[in-house]
Amino acid sequence: MASSRDDFVIAIRSAFLKKSTKQKFSLLSLVFLSIFIIILSGINFSPINKIKNLINEIVYRSSFVVSIPENLIINSYLKIKAYSNFYNNYKANKIELENLKSEEISSKIIISENKELKNLIEDYTLSSDKILAKVIVDHKSPFLKTIIINKGSSQKIKIGTNIFDKKYLVGRVIEVNYKSSRILLLSDLNSSVPISITPGNVQAIVIGNGNNLGEIRYIKDNLIEEIKDKSIAYTSGAGSIFKSGIPVGTVSKTENKFLINFYSDFQQLKYVFVEIEKKGTENQVDIKNDNVNVKSISNTEMIKLDLLNDQIKILDETNQRFIKENQILKSKTNEQNDKIYDLQQKVDIQAEKTEQNIADEEELDFLKLNLLYSSKCQRSTFKTGYKVGTPEYRKCILRRGKKSND
Amino acid sequence: MIRFEKRNFIYKFYTWLPITVLYISVLNEFDFNYLNIDYFSFNFPFILIFYFALKEYNKFDYLLVFIAGLINDTVVGLPMGLSSLSYILVCIFASYLRNITIRPHLIKDLFYFLFVISLINSINYSVLFLFFSYDLNILFYIINNLFTFLFYIPATIFLNYYHQAIND
Repeated sequence: MASSRDDFVIAIRSAFLKKSTKQKFSLLSLVFLSIFIIILSGINFSPINKIKNLINEIVYRSSFVVSIPENLIINSYLKIKAYSNFYNNYKANKIELENLKSEEISSKIIISENKELKNLIEDYTLSSDKILAKVIVDHKSPFLKTIIINKGSSQKIKIGTNIFDKKYLVGRVIEVNYKSSRILLLSDLNSSVPISITPGNVQAIVIGNGNNLGEIRYIKDNLIEEIKDKSIAYTSGAGSIFKSGIPVGTVSKTENKFLINFYSDFQQLKYVFVEIEKKGTENQVDIKNDNVNVKSISNTEMIKLDLLNDQIKILDETNQRFIKENQILKSKTNEQNDKIYDLQQKVDIQAEKTEQNIADEEELDFLKLNLLYSSKCQRSTFKTGYKVGTPEYRKCILRRGKKSND
Repeated sequence: MIRFEKRNFIYKFYTWLPITVLYISVLNEFDFNYLNIDYFSFNFPFILIFYFALKEYNKFDYLLVFIAGLINDTVVGLPMGLSSLSYILVCIFASYLRNITIRPHLIKDLFYFLFVISLINSINYSVLFLFFSYDLNILFYIINNLFTFLFYIPATIFLNYYHQAIND
C-alpha cells in the first residue's frame, strides 16, 4: 500500500517538476505563471493590458498571414460557386436594384426630415463618418463569434463602436488595439441588442444563439401575438449602445421561440463599415462660434434644398411616367378611331345595299302588278288611262294592286 | 522508411515540424469550422500536445507550448493565460501517464486522453462562466470534446509514422 502511494507521488513529482534534457521550465512553474496571467487579465491590470495589446497586434497580423493559404482555397471555392450562379444572381440583382432606387429617394427624404425635426427640438445630432475596414481574422469559432478588423484606436475607434455590413448592423467593438479591433458579432451568445419590431412597434432584446441566428427574449406575454412572421427588427436605440433605426433582421416564428434571421451573412464578411460618431448639441454650437451657427443655418438650407431637389426628382420621374402613359393611351386611341372609321364605312355600304334591295323589291312588286293590271291602266283608243312609263301609270298600277290585296 | 542526413536543413525543419504545426494551428484555429457543419469542431492542439508530451519528444519545449497557448487566447479572444493553462495541464497529464506506464497501449492512451480533455474543457468552461461571466453553449464543448476524442486514433497513427521516421 505504502509503496503504491510512493509510486504515485514519484510519478506526480516527476510529471510536475522534472525538466527533461531540452526543457527550460518545469511544468509546475508554467502552471503558476498561467494562473498568475489569468488573474492579472481578470482584474484588468494596465501593464498586462498594454502587453496584451502589443501581442494582439503581432498575433493578428501573423494570424492573417498564416490564414492566407487556407483562405485562398476557401475563396477560390466560393468564387467558382458564385460564377455558376452568376447569371441568375445578375437578373435578381437588377430587379432588386430598380426597387431599391425608388426606395432610396423616399428614405433620403425621411432622413432629411428627421434631421430637420431633430434640429427643431434642439436635440443633439450625430455626425458620423463611416470608414471601411478589412476583416483580417475570422476563424468562425463555434464558441465565440468574433472577428478582427484592421482599424484601431489610431482611427478613433472606441469600445462600443457600431459596425455595419452595407447598412445592416453586424456587431460592436469589444477590444481596441492601436491598429486592430475585435468585433463581437450579433450572433454571439454574449451579444444583446435592444430592438423594435414592426408592425406593432414591439420592444424586445435579441440575443445571439451562437449559431448565426438571434433569439428574441424579454418580451411581455401580451405582446407576443403582435409579432408576426417576417416582421422587421431594427435597433431601438435603448441603452445608447446602438444607434436607433438600424436594420437588424427579419423575425421567423418557430413553435416556442421567435428567431431573428440577420440581414447580413456573418460567414461572408470581408469588409465592414466602422461608424465613428461625433456628438454635439445645437446650443453648444451657438455659444462656441457664430460661424458654426451660419454653417448650421446653411446646413439646414442645404437640407431643404436637397429635400426640394429630391422632390423635383420624384416629380420629374412621375411626369415622365405620365408622359409615357399618355403616349401609350394616344396610340391606343388612334387605333380605336381607325377601327371606328372602318366600321362606319362597312355600315354605309350595308345601308346602301339595303336601300338598293328595297328599291329592287319595290320594282319587282310593280312589275308583278304591271303584268296583272296594265290593261286596266293603259290608255287605248276606246279607254281612258295613262301613258305607259309615266308616274301616273305607275301610281294606277300600285293602287289597283293595293285594292286587290284589301 | 524515410532517412535523413543529420545537420541537414530539411532534417532540422522536420524535427521542428510538430511545434511549427502547433503554432500554425493556433494562429489559424485549424478545426475545419469553415465547412459550416453544425456543431462540428475539434481541438487539434490538444491531440498534438498530448501525443508529443507522451512521447517525450525533445523538440517539444513546454515554454513554446505555453506561448502557443497565449497566442491561442489572443486569436480566439479568451482571457490571457487560459489556453496556456489548458495546454500545460495536457502536458502534465501526459507526462504522468508516461511515468506510470510500462507497456504503452493505444486504447488505454485514448481513454486517458478522453478523461484529460473532458477535465480540461470543464475547467475552461467553469473559469469562463464563473470568473469572466462568459455566456457559452455547453453543447459545443461536449461535441468538441467528442470529436477531439474520435480524431485521436487517426492522428496517432499518422503521427507514429513521423515519430518513427525521426527516430530512425
